[in-house]
Amino acid sequence: MRQYSGADVSGLTRFSKQKHPLYVGILGLIAIELSVVALLTVSCLYLMLTAPAWPPAGLEPAPLLWPSINLGLLIASMAAMRVAGNRITAGDRRGLIVGLLTAVSLHALVLVFRSLEMAAYDFRWDDHVYGSLMWTISGFHFTHVASAIVGTLVVAILAVKGYFTPERQLGVVVDTLYWNFVSAAWIPFYLALYWGPRLI
Amino acid sequence: MDERREDGRPGDVDWRERRGADPSESREAPGGPPTEERQEPLHPAIEDDAEETRRLAETWAAPTGFVGWFTPVNQRIIGRRFIVTAFVYFVLAGLLGVAMRLQLAVPENDLLAPDIYNQFFTVHGTAMMFLFAIPVLEGFALFVVPMMIGTRDMAFPRLNAFGYYVYLIGSAIFFLMLVVGMAPKAGWFNYVPLAGKLYEPGIGVDIWTTMITFIEVSALTAAVELIVTILKLRAPGMTLNRMPVFVWASLVMAFMIVFAMPAIIVASSLLILDRLVGTGFFVPEMGGDPLLWQHLFWFFGHPEVYIVLVPALGIVSTIVTTFTQRSLFGYTAIVISIVATGFVSFGLWVHHMFATGLPHLGMSFFMAASAMIAIPNGVQVFCWIATMWGSRIRLATPMLYVLGFFWVFVMGGLTGVMVASIPFDLQVHDTYFLVAHFHYVLIGGSVMPVIGALYYWYPQLTGRMMNEVAGKISFALVFVGFNVAFFPMHQLGLDGMPRRVYTYLEESGWGDLNLLATIGAVVLAAGFATTMVNALASLRWGAKARRNPWDAETLEWATESPPPPYNHRHIPIVKSREPVWDWREMKERPVVTGLRSDRREVVVTSILDAEPQAVQVLPAPTIWPFLSAVAASVGFIGILFHPIFFVVSFFLAFFSFVGWFWPRRPWQED
Ligand code: HEM
Ligand SMILES: [Cu+2]
Repeated sequence: MRQYSGADVSGLTRFSKQKHPLYVGILGLIAIELSVVALLTVSCLYLMLTAPAWPPAGLEPAPLLWPSINLGLLIASMAAMRVAGNRITAGDRRGLIVGLLTAVSLHALVLVFRSLEMAAYDFRWDDHVYGSLMWTISGFHFTHVASAIVGTLVVAILAVKGYFTPERQLGVVVDTLYWNFVSAAWIPFYLALYWGPRLI
Repeated sequence: MDERREDGRPGDVDWRERRGADPSESREAPGGPPTEERQEPLHPAIEDDAEETRRLAETWAAPTGFVGWFTPVNQRIIGRRFIVTAFVYFVLAGLLGVAMRLQLAVPENDLLAPDIYNQFFTVHGTAMMFLFAIPVLEGFALFVVPMMIGTRDMAFPRLNAFGYYVYLIGSAIFFLMLVVGMAPKAGWFNYVPLAGKLYEPGIGVDIWTTMITFIEVSALTAAVELIVTILKLRAPGMTLNRMPVFVWASLVMAFMIVFAMPAIIVASSLLILDRLVGTGFFVPEMGGDPLLWQHLFWFFGHPEVYIVLVPALGIVSTIVTTFTQRSLFGYTAIVISIVATGFVSFGLWVHHMFATGLPHLGMSFFMAASAMIAIPNGVQVFCWIATMWGSRIRLATPMLYVLGFFWVFVMGGLTGVMVASIPFDLQVHDTYFLVAHFHYVLIGGSVMPVIGALYYWYPQLTGRMMNEVAGKISFALVFVGFNVAFFPMHQLGLDGMPRRVYTYLEESGWGDLNLLATIGAVVLAAGFATTMVNALASLRWGAKARRNPWDAETLEWATESPPPPYNHRHIPIVKSREPVWDWREMKERPVVTGLRSDRREVVVTSILDAEPQAVQVLPAPTIWPFLSAVAASVGFIGILFHPIFFVVSFFLAFFSFVGWFWPRRPWQED
């Protein structure tokens, strides 16, 4: 069969950001994890709404202060990532590194506060289902923050080695996507775990 | 007829050009045969340079040898592994089914002890659903879809390989539990409290929960792969509106997996926490609720049956088109039905819980919704009938299995509408009526099309044809055996025989029908065995397949059988739904040029219109996906023994991921 050229792609970019399949793939990963977040939240609401008392009689709802501070830190870290992304688009490698490390420090601070807070709970996960939920959801989010940190540290190392350029920054873009998911996932948990008991 | 640009530069055709207003009319190309009109071709022909072809093959070649087994990333290799492994579990789980039927052949039989029987039905059900049905359909999708959309690999080849090793490790460990006699026995839906620590103290259910979670990770990776590949790597010109139905079906399956599988992952993670560290999610004394398990499980479980049905429907559409040599009637209606099935199936889970005493109003809603799912399925059946009407159907084995599918699936659909009605469901709940119903849907709706697909795509899998005579014998045995085995179970159920009992009394009067069912099951198994032997024997003795042996219209046949490592020598440009038939008529075709042959490059196109946007450079074979899968399995198995393994495997997985993603020098330029 006779073949002729219908499109020549030699001139097309080999670097693309939002159009790159990896970008869509990370969105897919986030969709999966969002389903997990939604299911955990709904399970929490289900158990809360069918329980005679929430938290169980004799317990106060967990204090609001630290989780709220963490919420602020997580949101601030998203801003830091955004700045980092803008810096590398402008070709400023130092700015990228500083932005990444700021975001990582904010997340690290969250881990510290969370650890202190959880250590102060006066119930365990095997006391009652309220405890099970508090610990499980906290653990789930904790692990995600930890993996966002280690992942972004790797990106930072690559940045130091000069890997990223204004064209070659897909790694930063997708890392930021995932970072934003991890940070924002705290919002439904925060509402369900800390405000839920106060509102019902 | 071809609208060409004024300047007529070579390689500058508007690849979006359409031949007719409606692609379905494209068979009669207006304006007579194209070659006569064209005295002097405007587009110089491309001659394939042998050296270039060789380089391309070298770039895309998969490694060989023992170590090489752990490193390939090519989509056809991974897809084929999924298919082969899944069929191994099909055979094993099928043998368990036959063993159960032998036990039930006569009243008060003592072939299988009660405990063994419980392990058998649990492993049979779990393996058929999680280790066979989903992986085999994913396998076909992974194998066929990239070729069908005219590209050279999946979007994330390494992730693909990772998914396979995860599946292999998880499923092997799960099945080994049966060999050591410690398999779970709480049924394939693993209801608590039966599956709680109190009633199932052994390790069986622990393995069930962790391995199912693990295997679902593999299903999820395949789903993301498929979504991204289908949306971003289609050949230029293959707009959504020209996508083959099988690709649509795979896309819908993938989306359903993305939103359904997390439910089973959450459910089993909560259960494993209950069992290992004493949380109380499903423990009423601690404020938990066993019904939460049922909600979570069926929020996954109902879509699950459509996850294995929808791609099978895509297979049916494909085979019907090819074997009638006609454009599919009602392409749009079929696509809309498939998408609608996907959506509606998420609103039906409660119909598995009619017997749990949920509020009545809510249940009535689910009853109506369940009956509604018959509509999109009915639409598809009518479209297929319209396609076949008055055509000369070629009755080769794939088509026979499709015809068998029609009968069996419609029967299963009918009993489905019956059990969707609450009063009837309460009557037959947990009886053999249900066993009959879901085997009609699963074997009819899924297994028969899959076997058809095996015969159909075997030339692309192996380069040879499967034996037709054996195929026809196999179909006859399967069709007769299946109906003899499972039809009587409807009556047994109405007579009150409960499912999941290892035996029954003489006086019950169920003996005759059970014996009949067992005879049928043996015939059915013989039918499946014929196909399996046929597949193995044809590897060696099958006739060499010629190019496009079935005269199909989709792109996976536009290349040799079996395809070379790069799938398509040139990425084709598509102008209608049936590109291969068009080319047959036009005697020429436009292709993409400008991809490098010294590294793995594919064209990235836009989501809706498939306009070329960029070029993606795909990674080469590597051991890292395998190492990552091992690292992850260390965690999944390890936590059964000590929580520290969670941390250990977190870091192991982290390091293997870094190894996987670390950019290799020279960092890609241009
Ligand atoms: C050779 C073919 C097959 C035979 C002889 C067979 C036979 C059986 C039998 C005897 C049972 C147990 C009934 C009971 O005691 O409750 C059963 C259950 C089941 N089968 Fe099959 N089966 C076959 C194929 C399949 C296939 C292809 C699938 C799915 C793709 C499947 C899915 C199931 C499921 C989900 C259960 C329920 C297990 C449970 O109760 O937890 N079977 N089958
Ligand atoms: Cu259902």
